[in-house]
Amino acid sequence: MRRFNHKLEQQQAPAFFVRGPSAFARLAFFSTLSLVLMATDARLQYLASVRQSLQTLIHPLQLLANKPSQIYRDVDEYFTLHNNLIDENQRLKQHALQQDIALQKLNTLAFENDNLRQLLQANKAIVESSIVAEIMHVGRDLFTKKVIVNRGETHKVVAGEAVVDATGVIGQVTRVYPLSSEVTLITDKSLAIPVQIERNGLRAIAFGHGRDNTLDLPYLPINVDIQRGDRLVTSGIDGVYPAGLSVATVSQIEITPDSPFARIVCVPTGGIENHRQVLLVSIPQVEAMPESAIESPAKLDVRPINAQAKPPKIPKPIPPPKPNNTSKPHASE
Amino acid sequence: MHPSKLKFIVLSLFCAYIFLLLPWSGFALKIRPDFVLLVIIFWLIRAPNLCNVGIAWLVGLFVDLATGGTFGQYALAYTITAFFAVSYQKRLVLFNGTQQLFYVFLLLLISQVVLLMLKTFSGAHFMGWVYFAPSFMGVLLWFIAVLCGLNTGGRSRGK
Repeated sequence: MRRFNHKLEQQQAPAFFVRGPSAFARLAFFSTLSLVLMATDARLQYLASVRQSLQTLIHPLQLLANKPSQIYRDVDEYFTLHNNLIDENQRLKQHALQQDIALQKLNTLAFENDNLRQLLQANKAIVESSIVAEIMHVGRDLFTKKVIVNRGETHKVVAGEAVVDATGVIGQVTRVYPLSSEVTLITDKSLAIPVQIERNGLRAIAFGHGRDNTLDLPYLPINVDIQRGDRLVTSGIDGVYPAGLSVATVSQIEITPDSPFARIVCVPTGGIENHRQVLLVSIPQVEAMPESAIESPAKLDVRPINAQAKPPKIPKPIPPPKPNNTSKPHASE
Repeated sequence: MHPSKLKFIVLSLFCAYIFLLLPWSGFALKIRPDFVLLVIIFWLIRAPNLCNVGIAWLVGLFVDLATGGTFGQYALAYTITAFFAVSYQKRLVLFNGTQQLFYVFLLLLISQVVLLMLKTFSGAHFMGWVYFAPSFMGVLLWFIAVLCGLNTGGRSRGK
């Protein structure tokens, strides 16, 4: 036995250079480490704080990397032609005038609306607060559609907020870092947004397509009343997006005889890859509804207002918006 | 080996990381070569005693952080690539320029394939062959660097 051991030791290759463990051992060790990290990050929430603190660490580097393009833009802006500025000024003035007129009407309407609500003893309309943010850069992962904006936890951004630009919804805040936050665009495969067809009020859920900059409306039957050019707006029943924001326009409807569902493709109206400034709209918060408003059946007509509440806060008499929500209590009973 | 080499390694990796952090968008983002991996491969070939699988893994973690994906994806891809680079490092020194280019291309491709597999597992779609464009751009960058006089350890250059 002893001789055998001796023999084994003799066979080992002499080490000329001290290089530590072999490449294969290192591969095994670090691969395992990566796999463990992946599993932890994907399934558990432990690494969120680690990610946040590391993100703070690389934030200065990010600002440094953004500097060249920013300087280029600044220089470019500095040398804009005088005429262009005058043109733009005129256009903006005109735009402001139009909006002022609309705003005057809005004030009157808001006042009238308040009065009507008081008469109906209904809830106050939800007022969302919002933060203006600037897009720092497009997400680097080619498999997802994301952008990073320059407002974060220190600016009171909360994960889940809707992100809107002048022309429509562009996405939702999915991760908040101390000084920046990550916005998943509505064209991302993992994002769904409850919509309503403006023309007839039909409700549906739009999913991002992932590869092209389009949205899908799946699971709608082939006889659904939908036409090319229909505008989709947020329905507001999810408690995330304020109701009535423009989301997309239906661009293509395909009906195949072997499928019970129509394939509906929509093009987002928001300038998903054009604008630099976006608005982060906070999640609407409402207090619990007064009892009297629930009990009398007449008040149920004010559905859209109640429906804007967060789903858990909706009192029982009002049917929850999604069918699978209704099925859950039965399953648990 | 010069003791100052470690400084060079850190500095070059830092520069590559800044290049990664530049606000790429649109088509440029699609064909952007993997600067960080190129620098790692360069040091794996030149100084495997200083830059090894562990460094590749650590740098991969930082790339994961920058891309915002699940932690460990780039780290695993870089680890596997680094393993292949290190295990054939001694033979690689004997390769001539063209052979080395091909080898670097294979290494870049390995990392992309590993990454594609990991992303597909987590539910992503393959976006088409343009996905492999960064490998071509990377090898082009390597070629340009060699032309500019960077000594990548290729054998028959200049003979």
